[in-house]
Amino acid sequence: MRKTDMRRTMLVGLVGVLLASSVQAHHNFLAEFDPAKPITLTGPVTKIEWTNPHIFLYLDVKDDTGKVANWAIEMGNPNSLIRLGWTRKAMQVGDVVTVEGSLARDGSNLVNARTVLLAGKKMFAGSSGGK
Amino acid sequence: MHILARLLAVTAGIIVCVGVTLPAQWHVQTKGVPMTPAGTPNLEAPAPKLADGTPDLSGIWDSEKVPCDEAKLPLGCIDITLGFPVGFANIASDVPASDPNDPTPFQPWARTLVIQRMDNFGKDDPRARCLPEPGPRMWASFQMQKIIHTADSLTILHEYMGQYRQIFLDGRPLPTDPEPTFKGYSVGKWEGDTLVVETIGYKESRLDGQGRPLTEQARTIERIRRVNYGTLEVDMTIDDPKAYTKPWKTRTIKLALLLHTDLLEYICNENEKSLQHMVGKGDAK
Repeated sequence: MRKTDMRRTMLVGLVGVLLASSVQAHHNFLAEFDPAKPITLTGPVTKIEWTNPHIFLYLDVKDDTGKVANWAIEMGNPNSLIRLGWTRKAMQVGDVVTVEGSLARDGSNLVNARTVLLAGKKMFAGSSGGK
Repeated sequence: MHILARLLAVTAGIIVCVGVTLPAQWHVQTKGVPMTPAGTPNLEAPAPKLADGTPDLSGIWDSEKVPCDEAKLPLGCIDITLGFPVGFANIASDVPASDPNDPTPFQPWARTLVIQRMDNFGKDDPRARCLPEPGPRMWASFQMQKIIHTADSLTILHEYMGQYRQIFLDGRPLPTDPEPTFKGYSVGKWEGDTLVVETIGYKESRLDGQGRPLTEQARTIERIRRVNYGTLEVDMTIDDPKAYTKPWKTRTIKLALLLHTDLLEYICNENEKSLQHMVGKGDAK
């Protein structure tokens, strides 16, 4: 890992531990996600939408049979992370990340991220928050 | 400063001073802030004044936030580690609408409706459709708001959805039959150091996350006071005979002055994808 990459990873890990989430939700977390259904997904980032009202990541995730499916990961909004010195370039398409979060109630391939791990380091969480 | 040390300092500052200051690395510093002899911002200093001698309410303000308490927030509080705005879920008290001890003087239909909204996790909340909030709901918000105060008007810019609200201070009367709007029509006058704002002309809306209704019959009174340089307090009376049996007072909403930051753009409809996935209790797969 290049020094700048390592520094980036350490930085985001620190933010992740202390920040834990962005809470600037535009809707109630429980209307969309079920905290009783935790899930962990790992795969390469295929797309990043650094947008309001939520940041979305998309991951290609391989299941136990080897079948690959694309998952949407809903996070908080960019503004609070920007204020922490975060930038839209901190995560790149192709980065392999692990997302820990909660499954959507409607059964779709959608997860709300509590944490995002990049290279084993906690990156940041962007939970949609609650009311 | 080494970037890691700088981030640690910045982040620690957020944990300690959330609601008061924001990261020191922000590229703009607020000017004209009174300072203590120790060289820190003196947020206890007297409120500044406009040229006409009335308190100047201008500034960027952030609602008071407390740690989330699941027992008091039936809608849940997932990962709310930076704090939960007092009054955001329940503008009346800490007692939820579903509790018989809830002090809100609901009309029977209104209580039934609020309990139904809570059971459905607030999935029909206009916020989820990127619609604006009435003024009373704006005060208890996750997002900051900027007050621009002149002798003739108070304009509130809310980072959330880029909303704005106008309160006229030029002595005009309330209109007799205003076109209903989300913000209503507001006029204000001073009673001592308190700005008293009267609003009518609301569209049907919600006062909080639990879904207390605000109807087109509502007349609200907000009493806004800048108690010192760094603190704003808002007391509200909701007079809405369609939804409530008598006028009632909300809890006091406090806001802290934010230094060294700017509003950032927040366009809710830029990439709204959540609504299609929302389901109420019992609808989940």
